[in-house]
Amino acid sequence: MNGNGAASILVVSDLHKSFGRLEVLRGISLNMREGEVVALIGASGSGKSTFLRCINRLETPTSGTVHFRDMTLWPSNPQVDLNQVRCSMGMVFQRFNLFPHLTALENVTLAPRKVLGVQAEQARNEGLALLEQVHLSAKADNYPAELSGGQQQRVAIARALALRPSLLLFDEPTSALDPELVGEVLEVMRDLAREGRTMLVATHEMSFAREAASRVLFLDEGVVVEEGPPGQVLEAPRQERTRTFLSRVLNH
Amino acid sequence: MIALAVLFSCSMSQVVHAAANSLQDVRERGVLIIGTDATYPPFELKVGDRFEGFDIDLGNEIGKELGVAVRWENINWDGIFAALRARKFDLVISDVVITDKRKKELAFSRPYFPSGQTIVRRKGDERIRSAKDLPGKLITVQQETTGQYAVEKLGLPAERIRKFETMQDALLEVRNGRGDAAVGDLPALGEMIRKGYPELEVVGGIFVRENYGVVLRRGEPELLTAVNDALGRIMADGRYARIYERWLREPLPASVLPSLEQMRNQGTPVAEKSAGSALTIRWELLRSTYPLLLRGALMTLWITFLGLLLGVPLGLLVALVRLSTVRPLSLLATAYVEVVRGTPLLMQIFVIYFVLPSLGVSLPQLVAAVAALSLNAAAYIAEIFRAGIQSIDAGQMEAARAVGMDYKSAMRWVILPQTVRRVLPPLTNEAVALLKDSSLISIIGLSELMRVGREQASNSGSPVTIVLAVALLYLAMTLPLTHLVRHLEARWQPISRPRRSSSTTNQQRAAS
Repeated sequence: MNGNGAASILVVSDLHKSFGRLEVLRGISLNMREGEVVALIGASGSGKSTFLRCINRLETPTSGTVHFRDMTLWPSNPQVDLNQVRCSMGMVFQRFNLFPHLTALENVTLAPRKVLGVQAEQARNEGLALLEQVHLSAKADNYPAELSGGQQQRVAIARALALRPSLLLFDEPTSALDPELVGEVLEVMRDLAREGRTMLVATHEMSFAREAASRVLFLDEGVVVEEGPPGQVLEAPRQERTRTFLSRVLNH
Repeated sequence: MIALAVLFSCSMSQVVHAAANSLQDVRERGVLIIGTDATYPPFELKVGDRFEGFDIDLGNEIGKELGVAVRWENINWDGIFAALRARKFDLVISDVVITDKRKKELAFSRPYFPSGQTIVRRKGDERIRSAKDLPGKLITVQQETTGQYAVEKLGLPAERIRKFETMQDALLEVRNGRGDAAVGDLPALGEMIRKGYPELEVVGGIFVRENYGVVLRRGEPELLTAVNDALGRIMADGRYARIYERWLREPLPASVLPSLEQMRNQGTPVAEKSAGSALTIRWELLRSTYPLLLRGALMTLWITFLGLLLGVPLGLLVALVRLSTVRPLSLLATAYVEVVRGTPLLMQIFVIYFVLPSLGVSLPQLVAAVAALSLNAAAYIAEIFRAGIQSIDAGQMEAARAVGMDYKSAMRWVILPQTVRRVLPPLTNEAVALLKDSSLISIIGLSELMRVGREQASNSGSPVTIVLAVALLYLAMTLPLTHLVRHLEARWQPISRPRRSSSTTNQQRAAS
């Protein structure tokens, strides 16, 4: 679809997910190539978060298949170590979910040290470099409660990068932020996109989708209603539902 | 402190109010109130709601002689004299042995029963044949009874004498093999063993002779005279013999009444005046007892500390098991918590110390005390940890799992460190509660603060002084802990609470 010949990194097909009798995902497919930035847009409750959480298996899908690199993640496969898979899929949450009892630097270095067994000194150096990358080296020793929302989310991004993941999942990373703090987080995300990171981003920020995404998926009621380059989906939507959604969001 | 002061001043006004002539009081009231510790068949026991026994029949006859009704009050032995002095009742009839020491604080009627101290051993235990064999053995007694005094007079060191609240507990200790012999008075002891302890036997006969008397407050000559006269008539007209035969199941020996008649002057002389109020604080008493009380306080701290040392990790374990997804295990943990929290600690202590031995598990005092406290505390601590773990935002576990941590390391490095900060204040509260609850350990005879305090209170004749001192010692131990809670809460506040709550953020977005 991207047409540049890069290898597929994530292939999801016909993914379903129900919570009890409520079907949240009703057959979603997605093929992502390395270096792609895919934006998931859609109203709250359209299934964006659930889709992301089914990919790194914070939720268990009901049916469908998920392939990541050369591994089958779903249907469930005993040969695949989920913890290892999650190391190569960083996730950034809407509410940051930083560990409040650890400093910014410790938040970033915890997983490398406890999961990968990286030595303290090396983890520290790499952690500081990551904080530098999100422009927060000055806050390395501050606790999350001492940081603004935008700073917390940037620490969370550094934490997600610390395991050198090959895919980054963003679950509405700016939705819980005060408007004046959204810009600094989007800037970091744009930097990552420019570096060629593979990113799957659920977002309400149409400007980000327009500038940074290579592809946009519009989700509504658990299905992909429209899919294509941002110029097409955002500027000239073909579906009525997409147009209604966009007019609501853009007039906001 | 305020409550104590109020209590104290109330007691003082009661003393001032008390009329000098108790006999007149009793007659005006129309009721004679008699205190007894109804755990001592055949002299006094409770059958359903009714009091029964030798002393009960005798007391009822005394009431008839005074022309008033009798009301019996049941009370623990170690508080019985303090209650008498606090005017909770007019007399104590509870096979109280007349001793010179007690005569300094209390008034006694003429003797109404000749008795004596005897030894109880496990059947066929030939190491113990008479009082000469007691030194070097572990002896159990009911605390502050003439049994205890008799053993102390033999020169046994305090740590070889184990004191219990009831004679029954002292006998259980011997039956369970933790004590070598019990000492108490005949004929009551013979009756108890015949009824409930086929494994035990009386040996060596009476080795200290003594007499029972009715107990009064000092300085009430009218009531004392009336009781003495009543006893004289009851002995003379055949009622005494009938009571004797009914409860001791043998004809009254011919020697009893003449010897009681001979000893009629061994009670308190009627002319003697009051011994001063039991409700005044006696500072010199504090000087002599404070080393004992301090040692008791140290023991209280020690068993509380050990109880927590074992109870905290056990509680954490129970909480984790309870939260686990393995259903049978989590049900088991839940059952443990519910059973322990739903039954009184006093009963748990009793089961661990007095009942387990019949299943072959005989724990020494200190071990039983620490086991009871830690098992009890673990249930409460488990609930504290469970609530603490569940109060941690679900996003924390998700974030930890999302960076590849397994459940165990997510618990270890993310959830529990935050839980500890949250549960420290309630955990310290639990420590305070446990420290106070450890006073219940006194029933198994371990010399912690409450036990020492009660012994000294009944020993000294000035319970108020000792009770106040004990309360202050408990306060001195708990206050630093409650201060620690406040300190910890203040210190960890900033980390556990984000600066900006997301709800205000959402409101701002909605408004824009």
